Amino acid sequence: MSAFEIAVLATGFLLILAGCFCLMRTYHIIKIIIGIEIAMKAVTLFIAYAGHINGEMGLAQSFIITIIVVEVVIAVVLSGISLNLYKKYKSMDLRNIRKLKG
Amino acid sequence: MNALSYISISFLIIPLMALFICILLKRSRQNLGFYLMGLFTLTQMGFALHGLVLFNNLKISEFLFGLPITESLTDIFTLKSVSLVILFCIGLVALVSLLIANKTMPEDKKLSYLRLLSTLILGMNGIVLINDLFTMYLFIEIIGISSFVLISTTKTQEGLESAFIYLVMSALASILILTGIAFIFMRTGNVEFSYLIEVAKTQGNAPQNALTYLSYILIISGLLIKTGAVPFHSWLPDAHQSADTSVSVLLSGIVIKAAGVYCLITVTEIFGNLYVIRLSLAIIGIITIAIGALFALHQNHFKRILAYSSVSQMGYMLLGISAGGVLGLIGTVFHIFNHAVFKSTLFTNAAAIHEETHTLEIDKMGGLQKQMPITATTSLIAFLSTAGIPPLSGFWSKLLIIIALWNAGFIGFGITALVLSIFTAAYFLRLQMNVFFGQTPESMKNVHEVGGSIKFAEVFLTIITVAVGLGFPFILLYLEASGIL
Repeated sequence: MSAFEIAVLATGFLLILAGCFCLMRTYHIIKIIIGIEIAMKAVTLFIAYAGHINGEMGLAQSFIITIIVVEVVIAVVLSGISLNLYKKYKSMDLRNIRKLKG
Repeated sequence: MNALSYISISFLIIPLMALFICILLKRSRQNLGFYLMGLFTLTQMGFALHGLVLFNNLKISEFLFGLPITESLTDIFTLKSVSLVILFCIGLVALVSLLIANKTMPEDKKLSYLRLLSTLILGMNGIVLINDLFTMYLFIEIIGISSFVLISTTKTQEGLESAFIYLVMSALASILILTGIAFIFMRTGNVEFSYLIEVAKTQGNAPQNALTYLSYILIISGLLIKTGAVPFHSWLPDAHQSADTSVSVLLSGIVIKAAGVYCLITVTEIFGNLYVIRLSLAIIGIITIAIGALFALHQNHFKRILAYSSVSQMGYMLLGISAGGVLGLIGTVFHIFNHAVFKSTLFTNAAAIHEETHTLEIDKMGGLQKQMPITATTSLIAFLSTAGIPPLSGFWSKLLIIIALWNAGFIGFGITALVLSIFTAAYFLRLQMNVFFGQTPESMKNVHEVGGSIKFAEVFLTIITVAVGLGFPFILLYLEASGIL
């Protein structure tokens, strides 16, 4: 393992941890969306690394592009739902949005 | 091109065609869209049955196919006999959902409902035909995205909030699944099922690699979120309760099974049926059955009880997967079919009651048996089938799962599952007592039987429950004669 590969893997883990931290510990809707995006980006790093060590860069590239497209769709749907939530509650804080027992 | 390849491609082409037609439809013609979608779902059910007959005649158990455009696109999908059963269920539940939506959906949302429904069917048809892990992820996302939008179509506060919870949970699931896929890709350099099965075989019973185990854990926990198994079930009751009933039918009837249980069946197979994975699935299954049933006991919303009941039934499917073997597989797939039928019946009853009384709080109801005899009878039969009372269809699939558990050596789990089915009877008895028996409150004196498409759906589904229950011994005899069991 070269220093570059270790750096890529470490960055991936750190980004996933950061994304999951955003998902669990914050209450602002936009922050949650950003957290999801960060974690998904980290996964693309892993896939690029996997393609690199297996010599399957073409496959890895097509996976990554597909993931980016899917992720944008998720972000758009999530933003749409958040916008509607904001219109109903006039707040972006999840602690104010508690109608269900959950 | 033989008949089988036309049938298998049509499972992907028909929903795509339906999507384009629904996009081009004008709002004034939306009833035409309902008829067309109904026709498409009926076609799918017919094709699935025809495929089963062809599989039997040709004596094959799987069939590779692809898009006949270029060389590289042949053999990218697989049709199995199990997937044909699930495809039939998808057609059935989508048909029931259409029959309900016809009445319950607001006029201005009907067209977007049709478009999203065809996307959802495309996603679910795709997931049972896939051949590699990455495409599985893609179709899971298609299912997920169309269900989020379907839940929030009515734009009520509860709908939006539960869609948000579901979206965040399933984004977490996607991250877990994708990380697992990336680790597998890192280890093997390929994500095709056939290749991974070969790798699992050469590894034997113990893959001596932390990375492999980590990827298994990640993928399975991601899929358990999608299934709604107990540590991850929090999104499911909210989503089922607050969506429109036609959407709840889809979610409970087929979405959690196609995106969760069916993928788990595939994934445990490609991981080589490891004992550790099967044991942990069995433990999660038992906990899911118990917690789901206990939570269902003290809910007051009709659809919330049904949602927790779905959680509990998912546990039986997890137990079936953990038992492994042919018997466990048949039990699981048959339970998927049965659950699709009887849970759709119960949600149709919920739609009927909501249409007539405009409430779903069971405290406010009572004595509806006299006013709504058909709804009461169909709901009673569906509940008896859920609780596993012979000779209804639910009994047979639970019996198969418990026998499979016994054969696999999980005797304690089998006995616990048997005992826990008493809870199923308990919460449904409470539901029946509160809604259909007892005194009718003053506000519900003028309630009368629901008519039209909802009544048709109730009767149709009940006929299937009873007929399959009575005919199941013959199916078993047939399976034994053809050497599968």
